[in-house]
Amino acid sequence: MTTLRDDTPPVGRRVEAEPVITLRAVQKYFPVREGVFQQIVGNVQAVDGVSFDVPRGQTVGLVGESGCGKTTLGRCIAGLTDTTGGGVYFRLSDRDRRFLDEFDGTPAERRTSEQRAQAAAIDAAHRIDRLKGDAWRVYRRNCQFVFQDAFSSLNPRQLVKDIVGRPLRVHREASGADLIGRVVALLESVGLGRQHLYRYPHQFSGGQRQRISIARALALDPEFIVLDEPTSALDVSVQSQILNLLHELQQERGLTYLFITHDLGVVRLMSDKIVVMYLGEVVEQAGADELFASPRHPYTEALLAANPDLLERGEEAEMRGLEGTVPDPARPPHGCRFHTRCPVATPRCGWEVDDAVAWLLDNTTVLNEMSGVERTSDFEATLRFGGDEASAEARSLLDGEAPRPMRSALVELGVHGPELRIRFDPIERVRLDDVGEGHLTSCILHTGCAEGG
Amino acid sequence: MTAEATMPAGRTTAPLVASVDGLKVYFQTKAGLVRAVDGVSFDILDGEILGLVGETGCGKSVTARSFLRLIPTPPGVYAGGRIDFWSREAREHVAPPVDLLKISPADLLTIRGNRIAMIFQDPGKALNPAMPIGDQVAEVFYQHRSQELLDVWEGRAPRIMRRAASQRTRTIERLALRFPPLRSQARRLRRRVDELVAGALAETQIPNPRKIMSSYPHELSGGMKQRVMIAQALACNPDLLIADEPTTALDVTIQARIVELIRELQERHQTAVLYITHDLSLVRRVADRIAVMYAGRIAEMGDTDDVFYEPQHPYTRGLLAAVPSFAHKRGELSAIEGTVPELIDPAAACRFNTRCAHATDLCRSVDPALIARPGHRTVACHAYASPEMLGVAADRLPHVDGGPL
Repeated sequence: MTTLRDDTPPVGRRVEAEPVITLRAVQKYFPVREGVFQQIVGNVQAVDGVSFDVPRGQTVGLVGESGCGKTTLGRCIAGLTDTTGGGVYFRLSDRDRRFLDEFDGTPAERRTSEQRAQAAAIDAAHRIDRLKGDAWRVYRRNCQFVFQDAFSSLNPRQLVKDIVGRPLRVHREASGADLIGRVVALLESVGLGRQHLYRYPHQFSGGQRQRISIARALALDPEFIVLDEPTSALDVSVQSQILNLLHELQQERGLTYLFITHDLGVVRLMSDKIVVMYLGEVVEQAGADELFASPRHPYTEALLAANPDLLERGEEAEMRGLEGTVPDPARPPHGCRFHTRCPVATPRCGWEVDDAVAWLLDNTTVLNEMSGVERTSDFEATLRFGGDEASAEARSLLDGEAPRPMRSALVELGVHGPELRIRFDPIERVRLDDVGEGHLTSCILHTGCAEGG
Repeated sequence: MTAEATMPAGRTTAPLVASVDGLKVYFQTKAGLVRAVDGVSFDILDGEILGLVGETGCGKSVTARSFLRLIPTPPGVYAGGRIDFWSREAREHVAPPVDLLKISPADLLTIRGNRIAMIFQDPGKALNPAMPIGDQVAEVFYQHRSQELLDVWEGRAPRIMRRAASQRTRTIERLALRFPPLRSQARRLRRRVDELVAGALAETQIPNPRKIMSSYPHELSGGMKQRVMIAQALACNPDLLIADEPTTALDVTIQARIVELIRELQERHQTAVLYITHDLSLVRRVADRIAVMYAGRIAEMGDTDDVFYEPQHPYTRGLLAAVPSFAHKRGELSAIEGTVPELIDPAAACRFNTRCAHATDLCRSVDPALIARPGHRTVACHAYASPEMLGVAADRLPHVDGGPL
């Protein structure tokens, strides 16, 4: 068996091993097209500037609610979707990683030509969308994917031996009797056997199908596997079998996992490091125990509160949810993207005209009288109403009943006849910042001030 | 041997709302008769939330749907048992219950959505995509509350309005209602309906209900759609609410809000709730009492905390140990080996014997009955049976760690 892997260091928690995958400002926008000419009228910002490392031999958990971009990010990493910005780097050495961080940190006009050349060389050798030929094939065989739905990710018209043997054939690793032998070995490693070779996927239960998916992912002896919600379609008793299997395989083969899930219990059990995403952005990143012991971002806290541990008793066991809905990713909120639903929002969190309008729309009927909006920027607008009373009423509502942080953030709220002028202070995007021992959070309550705020 | 309902004495503090006794629902398939629900018995008390937990295919949804006879027949067959239901009036006048499996379709229509309401798993599919929200919720009122809609006429409503209030107008009448002199009366009726619908929606904490009423389901988020479903279900203040995995399609933060809402409304209206889910940590927060189902049978029943902290049936123990929690180490999650057995012609044996670590030859040959245990609990496991009752030697009984007590 040929392996293209270097000697894997022993699996160690807490020790920051060399990363297999390095993400730098990964961005994936999906264009929104409209009209006869299909003009691009906006972008759904599925993944917007995500950076983290996946250390060798460890499991990184990627958590978030549906629509936060976690699956899109997984697909970008596996090369199944192109990125629209930033880079996914494979086997980046520590030296190159430090160089890239420095290079990204320097403004474009101050970069020297040698630096540019070196960055281009690193990109060509490690950035997955620049890899060509053999290098790309090496990446493909070292990065495998296990999909969420084992029902639709296995070809219903192929036998198990063809499904699991396919990667071996494509990479010309084995054929004939040798292939069958390899497939049987793979099946045995995931708890199936020779008797399953000549069966179709529909003859298996959900758990067994997921085992077949895992066997297929292991066929080329990869270094890194993206697990996209591998157990969310399974029952608990079967889920625990699969989780144990994944752990065993990791121990045996020194695999590196990116574990994408929305289940906090599972991610706590499986991960060394956890990355929490909200609306295309990373809001918090920390070691698994650290994150559960002291979450810093209100969104992480909300996730934990909404999904208390099974064995928790007393007050801690109460489920608490969040108000409101996830905003439109094509027009994500300014500042901290979570501020529209945040229970501890401050005036500096990025309030804008849309928030004021959304609040009026959801809680009052005054907007029925509105006849037009003139928007100078996202933070400044003039609402025109049908009459003077309506504008005065909207003013008093915004001034008296709107959520306190939004009210305090208003720097101008003036009525001029039927017109109501509202203005907020513009606020820049929040950034992830270290709050100690590799614990990164983007909440300004912990990182200090937002830029420009 | 059939699983008899053995409710312990002293459990009759609250009156019964429904009592399922030996329910059997089979499905005729090409492969044979699938015994999806095979002798299930439990009671739902007034004002309680009973959680029905189990894995995929254990028959929990089929049990729930049987309450409203929503199982298509064929292929389904209601093969036996009864579901007794006491409506509020029946309880007040100490009237006999109705057997939901036996009553006529016409009588069933007066119960469906009125006395027993249901919330379905996927609100996206359960709502009509081509109808505004307001009209969909209004249907419940037209169907079951037509008398209330005519309040504004103070009992002197013209016959055509009475027909309009229960949506039984003919085409020509509908036409007449659009022109004077009937138009103003039709509008009065419409206003009355809208008022009630807005009230029902507002109760589920939907912001700006008047606006929601004119929007279509696709314009709402999943959580909002589920609130509309709840509003629709509770519109007639039912005696029993059946919630079939109401939050499975939602995100955890939204799920927590919906669960809070269901609990809150349940407390306010004192409605009994049958809450079906596969999520153990969720049911622990919702239910007062839970029944664990396995392969078409009830494995264990008891107060929620008792079942969670002292599970007695080996299946419940395995299930609870399989949920990842802070007490587990990686790779040491306990799993229930094997898979759920086929439900086509099952042998007379404990359904769990193939996956049970404690199974003996007795478990493979005799079907365990539900056994009453101290603390208002029932367990279907031979480990808790007395040898005399089964007529076998004591050493043939299985031993479960920590029990029998």
